[in-house]
Amino acid sequence: MTKTSPSEHATAAPVPEASAKATAARSGFRIGPEGWTTLALFGLTVFMILASRLISSGFGSWQQAQAILLLSSFTIVLGFGQGLVILIGGLDLSVGVVMTLGGILAYRWIGTSLVALFWAIPCILLVTGCVGAINGLGATLLRLPPFIMTLATSLIIYGVFLGFTGGQPRGVASPALTSAYTSTFAGLPVILWLLLIFIILATLVQSHSSFGRRLYAVGTSPMAAYIAGLPVRLLIVAAYAISGATSGLAGILLVGYATGATLTMGQSYLLPSVAAVVVGGASILGGRGTYLATVGGALLLTTLSTIIEALGLAEGWRTVIYGLVIMLALLALRENMGIGWALTPKFRNTASRSRPGGAGHKPNKTGGNG
Amino acid sequence: MIGQYLKRGLLAFSAAAALFMAAHGESKAQDKKFKIYLSLSYSGNDWQTEAANIVKALAATPPYDKLVDLREVISGTDVQAQISAYESMIADKADGVISFPVSPTALNRTIRKGCKAGVLFFMYDATVTEPCAYNVSYITSGFGENTAQALVNMLGGKGIIFENRGVPGNSVDKRHVLGAEAIFKKYPNIHIVATYYGMWSAQTSQQETAKALIAHPEVTGIWSEYGEEGVLKAVLASKRSELFPITGEDSNAFRLALIDPALKARGFTGASSGSPPATAGYAFKIMMEVLTKKRNLAIHNIEYPLPWVPADKVKVCPGDEFENGCNVFPKDKVTDSFTTEVFEPVLLPELTMKTALTGLPKPGATIQPLPAALHPAPLEPGINCGHCEPPADLYKLTKVQPAVH
Amino acid sequence: MSAFVSRKVSDQTADRSIRLWLGNGALVVSILYVLLFAFYAAAQGDVFGLQPMNDLANDTLPLALAAAGGTVVMLTGGFDLSVAGVISLVNVCIATQIGDGPLNALWGLLLAILIGLAVGMVNGALVAFGKLQSIASTLATMIVCSGLAIVVLDAPGGNVSDFIADNATDPILGVFPAAGAIALVIVLLWLVVRSTAFGVAIYAVGADETAASLAGVPVLRTKFLAYSLGGICYGLAGFMLSAVTATGSPSAGTPFLLLMFAAIAIGGTSFAGGYGGPIGSMVGAALLVLLQKALFSAGVSSFYTVIFQGAIMILAVLVGGISASIAAGRSR
Repeated sequence: MTKTSPSEHATAAPVPEASAKATAARSGFRIGPEGWTTLALFGLTVFMILASRLISSGFGSWQQAQAILLLSSFTIVLGFGQGLVILIGGLDLSVGVVMTLGGILAYRWIGTSLVALFWAIPCILLVTGCVGAINGLGATLLRLPPFIMTLATSLIIYGVFLGFTGGQPRGVASPALTSAYTSTFAGLPVILWLLLIFIILATLVQSHSSFGRRLYAVGTSPMAAYIAGLPVRLLIVAAYAISGATSGLAGILLVGYATGATLTMGQSYLLPSVAAVVVGGASILGGRGTYLATVGGALLLTTLSTIIEALGLAEGWRTVIYGLVIMLALLALRENMGIGWALTPKFRNTASRSRPGGAGHKPNKTGGNG
Repeated sequence: MIGQYLKRGLLAFSAAAALFMAAHGESKAQDKKFKIYLSLSYSGNDWQTEAANIVKALAATPPYDKLVDLREVISGTDVQAQISAYESMIADKADGVISFPVSPTALNRTIRKGCKAGVLFFMYDATVTEPCAYNVSYITSGFGENTAQALVNMLGGKGIIFENRGVPGNSVDKRHVLGAEAIFKKYPNIHIVATYYGMWSAQTSQQETAKALIAHPEVTGIWSEYGEEGVLKAVLASKRSELFPITGEDSNAFRLALIDPALKARGFTGASSGSPPATAGYAFKIMMEVLTKKRNLAIHNIEYPLPWVPADKVKVCPGDEFENGCNVFPKDKVTDSFTTEVFEPVLLPELTMKTALTGLPKPGATIQPLPAALHPAPLEPGINCGHCEPPADLYKLTKVQPAVH
Repeated sequence: MSAFVSRKVSDQTADRSIRLWLGNGALVVSILYVLLFAFYAAAQGDVFGLQPMNDLANDTLPLALAAAGGTVVMLTGGFDLSVAGVISLVNVCIATQIGDGPLNALWGLLLAILIGLAVGMVNGALVAFGKLQSIASTLATMIVCSGLAIVVLDAPGGNVSDFIADNATDPILGVFPAAGAIALVIVLLWLVVRSTAFGVAIYAVGADETAASLAGVPVLRTKFLAYSLGGICYGLAGFMLSAVTATGSPSAGTPFLLLMFAAIAIGGTSFAGGYGGPIGSMVGAALLVLLQKALFSAGVSSFYTVIFQGAIMILAVLVGGISASIAAGRSR
């Protein structure tokens, strides 16, 4: 009967206190299963980098780790917005196109001017944030399934690009943006410092702010959040707006990296952005997942593809191995029975008490852990 | 209540239909023009846009501006969408379809139906194996083998190389790589240590090359398809002092880099060849000559000459045209990924760089006839014929000869 | 917000017949389809002939079959991305492994079903017994399948036998589109499945897993079977796509990924599971295919097509939503 995003999660909601307790556990310093999943993701990534020395002499080095961080930067930035949208039970299929929008605008507006950097970047984030907000409004006010709303937005924006640019965006790649990727500060590429700041800020927002806690509440049960007096619609719109802005930011970064812009520049980052979030253990139904785990997911996926490419196999088999390893990693990392779970016997006991029937956060509609 | 909604909806629909019928009737009245569809499989990169602009510009150049009613249809990379578009064009009684086909084989049944209905099908750049269609392409002209031989020559017959391929599972990519590997395998001291897919995109090529460079910093040469400017960017970003030869396609930035003295001093050299958007214009002119009964076309596979610009032949154009052997534009005139091969002085004198950027005709130009004899393309199974025997000298070199053994 | 609270309540006490008719996604999208078809017929003229009808049916069926399969999974509350991989894999296998003649065609059909079933069972096992998220595990199987497709056939080519290509796409006995007949068979089969205990269980699991479990519904088995059934549908979609294109391509399935979900949404199936059905999704798929043709015949060209597609997608889902809320309002 219902086709609307907030109400989809309305049935059999846990009581607000329960979700608040879960959130409190998350934001504390104790390492819960999600923390262990994150550690396992990072550990697996480091292990793969070290073990890959066996495959190639250039591997297993700090150089390689740096390059992987650099290549993952776009997915890491996209993953924050996508993660927030998934956290509130949505899905943003427009990140690829909005990323392109950010890239094209950066290409047009910033140019070689250093001053333009200071007004253009906020403007671009505002524009892309507005696109995200439109997605959010469609999902809340019009009650469109997020899948359709964001897909339609991306089709429409893409059409508008084609019309406006005639297929060839004009502009100049900003030397300042490029230097973020090429110059170093204290021994590290500038972009990695920026990325570090971004990750810290994003983690603070998602896991250690009242805004973040409210998003978890909305994701766990929009109805319970509504009853508890939270501005559910506003929070949902905000999550989509942030996703739009981070997509725009990723587009700006990509212009710096690739020193150019095309109409399809963001397309290939859509699936990785979703994959990083779900490999990081977030539930596609909302209410679960941390940003650090998403970062771990992004790093794991990039590392994996870098190493598999060096195996010297035919493309078909490479792809097969990539898929199989993802499958194995998912099985190993799943929260309720994987590595993280095995490492936290204490939490397992308390959790199974607080979760009816030993099921997950959302026993009513789980895609996976029911 | 629902009735109200339905009624309103019906009213809107019938109003739209009525408006449409009026417009349709109008277009029927001023007939006589050739109805030609430009079917793009995909739009969004410089190459596709330039090719489409070239066709639009030619269709607006006298006398074709009075003869042609050109309609552009973009159907994405989905084969079924293009099949559906072709079906609609046939149903709309098109005179001709000029198209970049998304698949060499999947469109065949639909094209066959169209041929029976009297529609001319001209494919540019990419090809189809359906015998009733016309293929106008450079694919058979040996991009892979010639660039591979050029790379081998520059490396003196030994080296450690990467291959930056196109899109996995694509027949054009496969043809290029088969040609290149036919050459590489003759040289036991050439080692291909990494093969990756740049998806015919500069950004993806840059990222994939960056990954390969981590695994194999000892590389001494790269063979690349479209996306070569990204390959070069990745190599430059890896901060090595010594550069090496790279062969690639026709992007403006790549050609400019080939004559950059600073890069040259560090050992960078290469060759620029590959897919020219001008093919679309060539295909369109041939089609128009057939439609206007100026040409009786006996062959179905027509080869477009392979652009060939080694590092020592790169020359910057002062104006908007290829004059006196110049073949690249200054950095401030076009974007990095602009594909330079947008016209050809003999076959397509009606075009300039501006026409490729805007789709507007060159002021004062009129359509010039093509040479009487067109160059037939050799048959290659899976490329331009279904079940046929390829010529014995399929991968013979045409632009460069082995300098090492 | 309170609207959905009351709607939930009204669901249980609703006058079922009104709810079924007004809130029925399949019916609403069917009405939209008829309207769009009327517009298309007015714009295009000759659309009622056997040939244009046959073309339309052939263009529609692969997406419709895929959407039907995706819906079964979605009804249980899952997302199945493996569709793209399965269609590619089936397509290249049919194009490279299957000879001519009726027996071979039958073997081809069986192969398509077996591939789909195998992948569906893997998905089902990962989700139901492995407790993985549907979107994550089917992403992995999609990647594996598309890799295998490239292993089987590394560039477009191969040859689908004339027997398959002709018989599956030409009108039966020269009077009725074969693709239309296949669609009808699938619809009938679904109506049978729906009335079985398994069919009821699919909806129960999607609507409320805990309640279903408490009521004695075998939740895990239902999920496993739903993914398997979905896989079979993708296999059939791959088989029909092979017949329509008469060739193999290792990336044949890629465009189906997003289109399939769009078709499901337009068809009125809830993305949270428990509500909707494959029939609506099949009509939704038909609507998307017809939209391309209608926009073409309306003279909408080039980049406007994309914009229209996006706008109409929103519109179709909105109309479905509005009529559903009217249905809910009426029944209260």
